[in-house]
Amino acid sequence: MTKIAPMQFINPQQDKWHTIAGEDGPMVTLTPKPYSLLTLLQWHSVRASWPADMPVGVALSNDDEVADLESDLPRLSLVSLAFPKWTDGRAYSQAHLLRSRYRFGGELRATGEALVDMLPLMKRTGFDAVVLRRDQDIEAAHRALAFFAGHYQGDVKEHRPLFARPAGEEYPDATDFNQAGSAI
Amino acid sequence: MYQYNSFDSQFVKQRAAQYRDQLERHLGGTLGEDEFRPLRLQNGWYVQRHAPMLRVAVPYGELNSRQLHKLAYIAREFDRGYGHFTTRQNLQFNWIPLTRSADVMDALASVHMHGIQTSGNCIRNITSDCFAGIAPDEVVDPRPYCEVLRQWSTLHPEFAFLPRKFKIAVTGATEDRAAIGWHDIGLQLLRNETGEVGFKVLVGGGMGRTPVIGTVIREFLPWQQILVFIEAIVRVYNRHGRRDNMYKARIKILVKAEGPRFIKDVEEEFINILERDVDGTAHLIPQAELDRVAAYFKLPEGVVATTDSQPVADDAPAAYKRWLERNVHGHKLTGYRAVTLSLKRAGQAPGDATDSQMDGAAELADRFSHGELRVSHDQNLVLPWVRERDLFALWEAAKAASFATPNIGLLTDMINCPGGDFCALANARSIPVAAAITERFDDIDELYDIGDIDLHMSGCINSCGHHHSGHIGILGVDKDGMEWYQVSLGGSDGSRLSGEAVPGKVIGPSFAADEVPDVIEAVIDTYRSQRAANEHFIDTVKRVGIDPFKAAANAARRSTAKAA
Repeated sequence: MTKIAPMQFINPQQDKWHTIAGEDGPMVTLTPKPYSLLTLLQWHSVRASWPADMPVGVALSNDDEVADLESDLPRLSLVSLAFPKWTDGRAYSQAHLLRSRYRFGGELRATGEALVDMLPLMKRTGFDAVVLRRDQDIEAAHRALAFFAGHYQGDVKEHRPLFARPAGEEYPDATDFNQAGSAI
Repeated sequence: MYQYNSFDSQFVKQRAAQYRDQLERHLGGTLGEDEFRPLRLQNGWYVQRHAPMLRVAVPYGELNSRQLHKLAYIAREFDRGYGHFTTRQNLQFNWIPLTRSADVMDALASVHMHGIQTSGNCIRNITSDCFAGIAPDEVVDPRPYCEVLRQWSTLHPEFAFLPRKFKIAVTGATEDRAAIGWHDIGLQLLRNETGEVGFKVLVGGGMGRTPVIGTVIREFLPWQQILVFIEAIVRVYNRHGRRDNMYKARIKILVKAEGPRFIKDVEEEFINILERDVDGTAHLIPQAELDRVAAYFKLPEGVVATTDSQPVADDAPAAYKRWLERNVHGHKLTGYRAVTLSLKRAGQAPGDATDSQMDGAAELADRFSHGELRVSHDQNLVLPWVRERDLFALWEAAKAASFATPNIGLLTDMINCPGGDFCALANARSIPVAAAITERFDDIDELYDIGDIDLHMSGCINSCGHHHSGHIGILGVDKDGMEWYQVSLGGSDGSRLSGEAVPGKVIGPSFAADEVPDVIEAVIDTYRSQRAANEHFIDTVKRVGIDPFKAAANAARRSTAKAA
């Protein structure tokens, strides 16, 4: 099992992270500030000089190669992945690779067209934070996370598929499931 | 066949509960149509011309009588009394109101059925040989592997929103009865020189607008590695498949565009999973798991090879002898036969069954086949465990229940999609054309004389009726709001009769609907005049080429001749 924090629902008004955008596209010069969420291009321009203890995050677009970020991951507190359309599933593979292959341990955030019915997939591919689209209902979101007590295939959190889990461990998500029991 | 354990049955119930929540939000106005659509699709709910269509999964075509009775009940109580068996071994309902859809999912869950991933851009229900586990030419029984694959692909969190739909077919016999070359992934189980079991893996086959036959990516993949290898293929596809154009989004386009680089990417990804991912070897299938699943596919209780068969009496009815010849198939067990219940008869659309016919088929399964049935790729039902000595009694019962048309493999045993009568995607109707052809060729002697032939018809380029792989393919097209039909010849699904999988060749401009039966007749007459002794239709087409057929078909034009 990999410990993944419970899903955090980010309120953009109270978010400590901020993006940096110039009037016409990305800024050329960039002053390091804590909790800057940079594009891959911006990060590449400052990565050599970014202070070691200053929290920084990178926002990837869903056709970026996550492998390009591999060596920098220990320095990043946040990686955000985009769903330009909610039916575009590329970011699930990016999330899986970040967690499972490159051992990214920081916050993994979903942005863009993030809808409550995507939450089970996000949770299982390693996301632990989401900026839901503004019209989404938080109660429905909590229900969506708790419909299944266990799955067949392994995922980023529970690596073992059902067939590799011993008796008594078939339902790794039983707690969420039982807590939501009254809602179902 | 596979039996659900408590995990499996809880799982489908949880899925039904999740769907009910989504449906209620949709009906309550908080989940808009655009956002509900992909969710209902992944539970099998399309919205069609008249009402929603529900596609129920029949995993690798295995069905028990209790399930078929429940499908009959759903047809009766929720639909207008019938359903349609598809080329992908599923069953479709056409008239269920969306407001009752969650109740239907509960009813299905009660008999361990569902509509999970029967549509949408995800890994679809896995298909196989309808004679799996009973075929005399079987090398390895594919069903345990299909079941392991079914479980692995069910609600896979990373692969629910692929660029496009993704279909896997598995066969374990020397003859390919699952058309694996036509699938996104085609798997053939085989043994290597040392007797070990593995898969030949094909990738990038598909029909649609651009018919492509799959490319061999591995000649022999040890069976233990199949889940990891498929994960590698689907991940490369999810990341790099085209999403800008729906018609170029299938994996076949990526495989074609990338060529050897695609294979290299998959092989690299495969190694990376095993060597670099956290617990990357967790999805290698242990022998114990295969054994556990395979135990469900042992022979049904009481089934043992016997020698008590009775020879067919000389004075047996001619119709019975024909049925034996066409609808009864070889079996790996002495004393047993597989029997096809034909769903191709005048007055009903190919693949359709009414609620009482479904009940009837379930009763035949209970009486003659240990309660088990299969859905065939050719849209018929198969009874897999019939004692030879029961054949005559089964024939009489099947005849009474309208299942005994002795036409399996013949012209009227055609593959046919529901077409424009039901499907919102269709450009043209296919059912009336199928009916006209069935009516034209209603003489059984004539059908026998024509012999083995695959006629496949689709109402649109999505190719649900597999027109590309028909010896004769008919494709409905729309021009200026009118229905037209393109005819192709020489296609193959990859079976022994048909030869290596290949798309058919179009024989010229489209025909009008009322010309189609004449065109088919002209094509058949050409075959009969050109054939060598004992030569099948497909072989004559291959030998003489399409020109003589084309000339005959053109001579049958009336309205389209005037238009030209």
